[in-house]
Amino acid sequence: MNLMTNILINVIIAFFIGSLLFGLQRKIMARIQGRPGPPIIQHILHTFKFFIKESAFPYTAAMPFYIAITAMLSMIWVAAVIVGPVTGGSLLLIFGIYAVHKIVEHNAGSSSGSPYGKLSCVRAVYSAAAEIPLFAVLVIIYFKTGTMNITGLINYQTVHGPLLYAIPLAALMFFVLIMSKAPYSPFAITKGKDIVSGYETEHFGLLRGYLMMSESIAWYMLLWVFLTVFLGPISIPVYLIGMIVMSSIIAFINATTPLLNPNHSIMMQVTFAFIGIVGSFALLMI
Amino acid sequence: MDITILGSQIIGIIPLGDIVFYFTQFNLFMFATALAFTAIVAISKTETQVEAEFGKLGDRAVTVAKKEFKIRRFLAIICGLATAGAMITGDLFDFTLFVCLTGIVNIGIVGAVRQVDVLDAAYQYGLIAMMASLPLFGGAALILAATGTLSLLEINSLTYTTPMMILGSILLFLGVAGETGVAPFFATKAEMFRTPGSPFLLIIHLSSLLILVRLIEILLMINKPF
Repeated sequence: MNLMTNILINVIIAFFIGSLLFGLQRKIMARIQGRPGPPIIQHILHTFKFFIKESAFPYTAAMPFYIAITAMLSMIWVAAVIVGPVTGGSLLLIFGIYAVHKIVEHNAGSSSGSPYGKLSCVRAVYSAAAEIPLFAVLVIIYFKTGTMNITGLINYQTVHGPLLYAIPLAALMFFVLIMSKAPYSPFAITKGKDIVSGYETEHFGLLRGYLMMSESIAWYMLLWVFLTVFLGPISIPVYLIGMIVMSSIIAFINATTPLLNPNHSIMMQVTFAFIGIVGSFALLMI
Repeated sequence: MDITILGSQIIGIIPLGDIVFYFTQFNLFMFATALAFTAIVAISKTETQVEAEFGKLGDRAVTVAKKEFKIRRFLAIICGLATAGAMITGDLFDFTLFVCLTGIVNIGIVGAVRQVDVLDAAYQYGLIAMMASLPLFGGAALILAATGTLSLLEINSLTYTTPMMILGSILLFLGVAGETGVAPFFATKAEMFRTPGSPFLLIIHLSSLLILVRLIEILLMINKPF
């Protein structure tokens, strides 16, 4: 297949599946809480709606930074799709993209001049401390397999079996990290409803559409990376089942857990990281 | 060019005397990202923060003064360029120099703000960054002593890891953590980020996280898998 076609198809798949999984999450959460909930396609409808809405820009915003930051978010997650499913490139690069996502999340909030965005920005700085598991996961995977290449990791697991069994605590740390990116999660402090919509509060119309599209692709990519890195060579139906199962588990946790206070959220993630790092190194050395 | 770093093929190198820049898919992306953000920061205005007035119903607009804006923008551009350099350098000593430079300009970016709380946070950050320069350069020196080279390409081709290299790596990590103000030194940064000037704050955060990801790459090159 032509490379450009391959990229385009993968980006479209990532957007639609990511959006449907977000919709599924909201549906499951609603049912657990005794509500009918929105239809599963609601997130897709929302995204398309924002693309045809009138765009407005706050007069307090830092221009053109305020607009560029949204474009950046879209570009980095399209790049992640290219590095991951399309080319099977460097895992380190995907984590680099995730780091840039943190920066964009932080500055999308502060660039508008809104106090809610600013609070989200300060929380994003705090929550950077919770990214320790991210780097620990990378180190543990490399020490176990000797490669940072996604294709190399798949080949390793073809021979040695899924990494999920070899380094389960690293998988747990990564799962907690994915959970922190889910809307309504106990760790989603940057988008807590106590600060309206956090960094998205002052993004309207087209810009909001791009933010929502990027978030759907980001969700798909995080699940894809988890399944690829910890389960190895799996077929497309298994990918789909894995993504649905993970999204459902996270929906269940989100529905039954309140949003944590920022300090508690960070400390909880750091505690998971400490247990994961010490335990994983102990397992590697045994 | 048949050199592989952490499973990725090197795309090319730029030799400038004893300074060698190299590009893999990872380094190239990080370098381009740092430059792109620097360009955006260079052309952007700052936001206006709207705060509620105490005891009244009015709003108060907090802006960045022109003189302050100019010096902070200049330092932000230097910070962006130093970060971009740290992404592609193939020399461990150059990497520590780039990291040190980002630490210095980051302090300058917030030190130019005329708010007591922000200046206090910048002062605390300055102390941490100054103290962190010892383990930063000490770590690089230990790795040089243990391997006989500062070239990352040479270190990558080694097949062993000695205890001295592990100690050097730990010191290097502590040094970078202090210079960039990441956990557990991040608390002062959150205070600094309450001030207006979003594009400048972006570059502080950008430099910290990108350098940290790059450091992970360097540490994995120094410390071989079990």
